[in-house]
Amino acid sequence: MSLQTDSRNFSERTTDGLGDSFMRSAVGSAQDSLKTRRLSAATALGDWEQWRNVGQLIRQHTLENLDYYLEQLAGNIERQGGHIYFAATKEEASSYIRDVIVRKQATKIVKSKSMVTEEIELNRVLLEAGCELTETDLGEYILQMDDWDPPSHIVAPALHKDRRQIKRVFTEKLGYTGDETPENLAGFARTVLRQKFLEAEVGITGCNFAIANLGAINLVTNEGNGDLTAAIPKTHIAVMGMERIVPTLEEMEVLDNLLCRSAVGQKLTSYITVMGPSAAGETDGPEEFHLVVVDNGRSDILGSEFNEALQCIRCGACLNVCPIYRHIGGHAYGSIYPGPIGAVITPLLGGYDDYKELPYASSLCGACTDVCPVKIPLHEQLIMHRQNIVKQKRTGAADRIQMKAAAKLLSSPALFGKTLRFAHSASRMMSKQGRIVRGPALLQGWIRSRDLKQPVKQKDSFRAWLEQRKGGAEQ
Amino acid sequence: MTATTNTSTNRNTNKEAFLNTIAAKLGRERRTEVQRPAIREFIPDSYGPLTTDNLVEILKEQCFFIHTQVIESTRELLQRTLDDLIEANGGGNVMTSGDPRFREYGLAFPDAAVWEEAAGRAENIRRAESANTAIVFADCALAESGTVVLESRPDQGRSLHFLPAHYIAVVEREKLVLRSTDAAAALNRRIQDGEPVGSSINFISGPSNSADIEMKLVVGVHGPLRATYVLI
Repeated sequence: MSLQTDSRNFSERTTDGLGDSFMRSAVGSAQDSLKTRRLSAATALGDWEQWRNVGQLIRQHTLENLDYYLEQLAGNIERQGGHIYFAATKEEASSYIRDVIVRKQATKIVKSKSMVTEEIELNRVLLEAGCELTETDLGEYILQMDDWDPPSHIVAPALHKDRRQIKRVFTEKLGYTGDETPENLAGFARTVLRQKFLEAEVGITGCNFAIANLGAINLVTNEGNGDLTAAIPKTHIAVMGMERIVPTLEEMEVLDNLLCRSAVGQKLTSYITVMGPSAAGETDGPEEFHLVVVDNGRSDILGSEFNEALQCIRCGACLNVCPIYRHIGGHAYGSIYPGPIGAVITPLLGGYDDYKELPYASSLCGACTDVCPVKIPLHEQLIMHRQNIVKQKRTGAADRIQMKAAAKLLSSPALFGKTLRFAHSASRMMSKQGRIVRGPALLQGWIRSRDLKQPVKQKDSFRAWLEQRKGGAEQ
Repeated sequence: MTATTNTSTNRNTNKEAFLNTIAAKLGRERRTEVQRPAIREFIPDSYGPLTTDNLVEILKEQCFFIHTQVIESTRELLQRTLDDLIEANGGGNVMTSGDPRFREYGLAFPDAAVWEEAAGRAENIRRAESANTAIVFADCALAESGTVVLESRPDQGRSLHFLPAHYIAVVEREKLVLRSTDAAAALNRRIQDGEPVGSSINFISGPSNSADIEMKLVVGVHGPLRATYVLI
């Protein structure tokens, strides 16, 4: 899977999402429970606003000095006998990893959940190289068993599936014979995956944050699969977006608190681990450790007007409050990064050609900006995208004409007043029983799913009514 | 020989080009010295002064929420408490770390396996995988999040915390601190002083769990199914 998860156009994808009532109710209830849990965990920390300020300070400081901290990280990894590789493109990243695996003559690979490995299309590259690859995060494993169905949420990847669908997948693909309770489905996956861990030759993980002054990575999980992936195979390859780094454990601690509370409403998740190459005398953990640092378009964001998007710690809180995500679901974004943060970074990483609709998948209510634990001005960045898209004349000709007409109409009180006077008779042809049923493209999006009342006659309008009342009061 | 040199040169060129690109995008020269902001000054303290008894209360309350049992015991009763817990877990194989505190406290578990350097990788992992209960000593514990902190060492591997079905961590009351801020600061002081730390530092807060199926919490996924802290 690459950045792109669906090559159909945006309106087909959203139509799919809007028509999937199971998905919509699953996303709705997930959002409600995650919102409540986030709020209580955030409140428990005391002065949450001050914590957000510290989070923002740490992320901005690290980005401003990114070359320094990456160099320090590299030195400290190599000092412990580990390897670090800097990949400018996704191809460089995935071929480096493939080459390590080929050199080890390894075929059995376990992976723990990582969005950046999706971005560099690692699974495709490794499957083509003949590897037997297993995703070990429960949600990701379910998706893999369902013929690599794409994730729909950055924290809960299989959110769009219900227990019946999961049971069917396990029954068809793995010969599962149990019932559909989550406990039994998870217990079955535990048994199957336990064997995969024990046999694996190489473990691949993502990286929540690299710690520059230690030369280690930090993984934040609940299931324990990330730790088993790094502890049991003799080779551990970790992959990180180049901006996911902190100076020391002190900054990591602040960000982990913001991350866990914002993502799942926990104070800390069950397993927060700081890990690197095994030390002398330790008998498990990786004998060979590789860290792959991926640019793949990030350096173009650095120092640009979208710089703050790189502050993201991938908690998913913005997805959990977004009214648009709630209705169209994760798949409609067509990107491995959905929701408000996805609508900001996907066009930056993948270009406007494929993703120019995403910045419009927002009501600009700003709920995303309010919850962001590192204070990314998400809805403002969406407006900046829209401005760029308009400036580059990437909107359709019909849209441009309509927007121009609307601008003219709305910026002239005289013209606006005149239009209102004739609105009733002008809309007669488009209306049926007091509702507008036909109209230009600009109206279609609304009237497809909602009523739009036909404008009333001039004499029945609010303004006329107000004038009359004024007159009445004076008498 | 040549091939190795080439690879390492390439890697180095890669790194230099990569970091130069970053500096250029930031519109400046590469930086070789950076002053890190004093973030601790900005971190709010919402608790005020706390006694050990206060910390124990905070720990117990949090452990209730993370499905973790807390048992208050004493040094004298520790052996009995642990024996009872092993039995409550349904007996079976026990594996402990090689922590010197097991001997210090006079603990003995007949037939228990011990994580030891001499056993080597495959054997230690095999022992951990066949253990029903793991017993370890925490280096310190965090009351607010219900967390035990442990470092990997030759006598305490990484997978010991994950492979056995049940996990018991012994916590000495005096090792209890309020929150992760304290633990991270202490660890970072050691790193800055050049002291070695374990290649894996584990912050463990209760048993493994997942909400990947319909957002329903399942306790016990890849790691332990149950976790118990014994306070002494």
